[in-house]
Amino acid sequence: MKSPTRREFGYLTGGMTLAALGPRLAASEAKAKVVVVGGGIGGATAAKYLAASARTIEITLVEPNPNYTTCFFSNLYLAGLCSLESLTHGYKTLAQRYGINVIHDSVAAVDPVARTVGLKSGPKLPYDRVVVAPGIAFNYDALAGYDEAATQVIPHAWNAGPQTQLLRRQLESMEDGGVFVLVAPPNPFRCPPAPYERASLIAYYFKQYKPHSRILILDAKDSFNAQDLFLDAWERHYRGMIEWLPAQFTGGIKTIDVKERSVKTASETFKAAVANVIPPQMAGQFTQQNGLADKSGWCPVDPITFESKLQPGIHVVGDATSAGDMPKSAFVANSQAKACAFAIAEALAGSERVPPRLFNTCYTHLGPDDAVSNAVSFKPVAGTIKIVDNFVSQVQESAETRHRTAREAQSWYAAFVRDTFGYAAF
Amino acid sequence: MSKGIGDRKYRDGAGLSMRTIIAVSIAAGSFIILADRSQAADRDGGAQLAAMCASCHRLDGGDGGIPTILGMSPEMLARAMLAYRSRERPSHIMRAIALSLSDEEIATVARYLAALNK
Ligand SMILES: Cc1cc2nc3c(=O)[nH]c(=O)nc-3n(C[C@H](O)[C@H](O)[C@H](O)COP(=O)(O)OP(=O)(O)OC[C@H]3O[C@@H](n4cnc5c(N)ncnc54)[C@H](O)[C@@H]3O)c2cc1C
Repeated sequence: MKSPTRREFGYLTGGMTLAALGPRLAASEAKAKVVVVGGGIGGATAAKYLAASARTIEITLVEPNPNYTTCFFSNLYLAGLCSLESLTHGYKTLAQRYGINVIHDSVAAVDPVARTVGLKSGPKLPYDRVVVAPGIAFNYDALAGYDEAATQVIPHAWNAGPQTQLLRRQLESMEDGGVFVLVAPPNPFRCPPAPYERASLIAYYFKQYKPHSRILILDAKDSFNAQDLFLDAWERHYRGMIEWLPAQFTGGIKTIDVKERSVKTASETFKAAVANVIPPQMAGQFTQQNGLADKSGWCPVDPITFESKLQPGIHVVGDATSAGDMPKSAFVANSQAKACAFAIAEALAGSERVPPRLFNTCYTHLGPDDAVSNAVSFKPVAGTIKIVDNFVSQVQESAETRHRTAREAQSWYAAFVRDTFGYAAF
Repeated sequence: MSKGIGDRKYRDGAGLSMRTIIAVSIAAGSFIILADRSQAADRDGGAQLAAMCASCHRLDGGDGGIPTILGMSPEMLARAMLAYRSRERPSHIMRAIALSLSDEEIATVARYLAALNK
């Protein structure tokens, strides 16, 4: 069946003729219903692109928080280079310009037989399809001595917001000469370069305000993403300030002592002035409780439609997925959400489909004016997703190139949050 | 949405000059725009491919370190993409994108983008 309103499709994507969208027409009982769980990067993008591609679909987005603060660029905030407000975005545009029904609540459960999504406050919402994008949960069982309560003393700051503010306050009140200990998680985890970007930008902050302070990274791994680029930058910008100890050196991280603010490894105990523990991760709690995650702790999905391999009619996008070679990044969540939205629009509203385009682009800051980027294209192959091309910045690049990349990163942020949370006006 | 980091403007990074684009277009040689697909398929396909561009390029004309892709003819856009693909124009991000598209897909997305700001 072809939707009569299909001709609006493209122009809505950019928001060019959004006025034509609202108010959404009556006869809503005739419309297909999609419920989106989670208004982070994956969920917001999916809702927006569904609204843009099929006027005949009624979209409800359920998200507990009134605003979303991006993890990306939150390391710049930790270094004092931007405000948290500048990284915080609301849902008004998605509701008002894109006609999405935004509900501030949590989804408690999904019933695939009755085809309803149950909200924490009680109501049940009927659906034809569900898109689930709850991000990550922390696997506290896998790290002795660290739990939810401990995050109030030693933040993870791996969801942006109050946790990030707490870490910033601790860094600000730390005396010069202190040791900042960062515990880096095992694979797979949200945003592979981000722990090391964080170390770089905190070193930048120390260099200016607390030049006698040091950074110690205790890693659960023996190597990390873009290691050559980071080691080169640490030598150039922060010589002697950052020490990275791989698991093979320490014997692995054993216990976090919250009271002592120390980290015990197999070989030694390290005391911190300020500590940041990034715990092992798994797909968001909701997926664990609703049969969407497998033994690995992540959600297996169809590589073309992002429909769960475990629960038909329910799609999963973003960090919660186990999606072959695709890393857990905001860019990937956005890219998957688009592919998923177009697949659902095709299934429910009959729009034409081109093969999904899956990409990751990551801008990583080594300093405020020294950034690198990585671009990867992916393709569905035999039930999973494989890397096709992978291009990365090089160690020998000129300062000018790095500066230009840092400028691009700023510009990327502005475009990306508009692509995800909508264009307020044109 | 509050104003902040993402809204900073950098005058010196405001994209490629028209001269560069035209020079590249000529260097890229002939490019055929296919006109035989149905309009609807073209629009849906164009929108889905352009969704990929929108992750980095602003569609409201805002410009900064990443050049705008609005206000160009389909031919210019397509030739620029081909120049990225052949590495004539440097950018590993654009190269990854261009390599993933067929000539026909490049033509589709170029037509779509050129029509956006009409
Ligand atoms: C320090 C740091 C730096 C980063 N830098 C980058 C970067 O430069 N580039 C990049 O691409 N990525 C970056 N990332 C990664 C990026 O932030 C994540 O990959 C991205 O947020 C994943 O999107 P998501 O939609 O899967 O999850 P999220 O964005 O976390 O969204 C999940 C949402 O679901 C909601 N939710 C959860 N459970 C429920 C429920 N039961 N009911 C309703 N709602 C629910 C949550 O409240 C949340 O809003 C970075 C991450 C960190 C920590």
